[in-house]
Amino acid sequence: MSPQGSTGELVSDWSLLERVVRKDEAALSALYDRYSGLVFSEAKRILRDAGAAEEILQDLFYQVWRTAERFDAARGSLAGWLLVAARNRAISRLRRKTGKTEELDENGVILRVDLESVAAQNVLLDKVRGVMGSLPEGQRQALELAYFEGMSHTEIAEKTGQPLGTVKTRIRAAMETLKQVLR
Amino acid sequence: MTNGKHIPEEDLRLLAAGAIPEEECAALRAHAVECPECAAKLAEERGLAALLALTAPQEKPAATIKAKLFARIRTERDAEERNRWPVPDVANKPDASSAARRAWWNWVLAPLAAALLMAAGIEWLESRRLGEELASVNHQLAVLMNERQRTEMMLDVLAAQDTMSVKMAGTPGAEMATGMVRYNPRKGMVMYTAELPPPPTGKIYQMWLVPATGVPISAGIFVPVEHGARQMWMAEVPLHTEAKLFAVTVEPGGGMPQPTGVKVLVGVVGG
Repeated sequence: MSPQGSTGELVSDWSLLERVVRKDEAALSALYDRYSGLVFSEAKRILRDAGAAEEILQDLFYQVWRTAERFDAARGSLAGWLLVAARNRAISRLRRKTGKTEELDENGVILRVDLESVAAQNVLLDKVRGVMGSLPEGQRQALELAYFEGMSHTEIAEKTGQPLGTVKTRIRAAMETLKQVLR
Repeated sequence: MTNGKHIPEEDLRLLAAGAIPEEECAALRAHAVECPECAAKLAEERGLAALLALTAPQEKPAATIKAKLFARIRTERDAEERNRWPVPDVANKPDASSAARRAWWNWVLAPLAAALLMAAGIEWLESRRLGEELASVNHQLAVLMNERQRTEMMLDVLAAQDTMSVKMAGTPGAEMATGMVRYNPRKGMVMYTAELPPPPTGKIYQMWLVPATGVPISAGIFVPVEHGARQMWMAEVPLHTEAKLFAVTVEPGGGMPQPTGVKVLVGVVGG
């Protein structure tokens, strides 16, 4: 359930994050309730392992608790950061890569859509799935291999037997369609 | 490599989608760090790519993960509290001459220091106990605040003039079952009560909003408490969805994206 203020309005991510900076556990709890499902589902989709996805989920929200003051509303969205950070950590784990995660890099994520309530998430979920379902098979496959499997365009070209240029074009075209529909 | 020029939009898009080989990423990212224009464009593309996460099958993590997260936070906070107490500095001992000059002071200061240490120890223990109590009270407060928000939201929906009521009746084989749905499309809120027997082992009940057009939308999973108090469940659904009917099905634990099980309750809007 989305956290609401005393007058029934939705409390924004940044208001909650400001409270997390002041070490307000209820605010972190509200953010967790808001985004844990999305973060967990994404990590599990990549890793196909609920235990590993739960570890990533816990670590990410622990990082939010420890470093909330570093998030900069001007540089992007918390929901975006959570989704990109979850994806990067899951892919690193999937490909057994080590090394420091780029915190600042991940912080720069701008979401032009609302994900702050379950209702908004549901609407967007249908929309994005609709777009992905409508893409030509080759475009959808190339984009999913990159995002969920962490494969580079070269690896996708090798796996699918398609020329490198075709793979690049397909990924760009799929992203462009997503952008046009969500605009 | 960017050779000092802006990153082409095509490459920004591939970078955001995760399709650029690792060895080429470093140069692009390094440029983005130095170039606000490319950084802003990359942030936009990342936001777009992040939405792909929504195509993953949506699942809730186990409730124990949240409990573990907060246990980790509290353990760390307790450790920080403990470490905040100063440790006596034994490394910088005074030299012999100054010790001799101040020896007589020791007769006065030593018992005083011992008394202060003892007082500090007692205060530390008391502070730790109070800290634990405070953490427990904070947790209870968070629970109460969530409960209050939930109650306010329920009252808000119930009081709204555009909230509709839909009576649900049991299907053949479950004739004794009843339920009541209150639905407000403007607020995207569904609240419901249901009188149903406990579901079979490993199963739960799932409420569905069947829209006038499109596929059923989940309005939450629930398990009635046997012989318990009357319960009301609440769920958010997409705003302004025109509902045709509401239905409750029996589904595997955790719920399903679309109904698969036996229908036990049905209520037609306006019926």
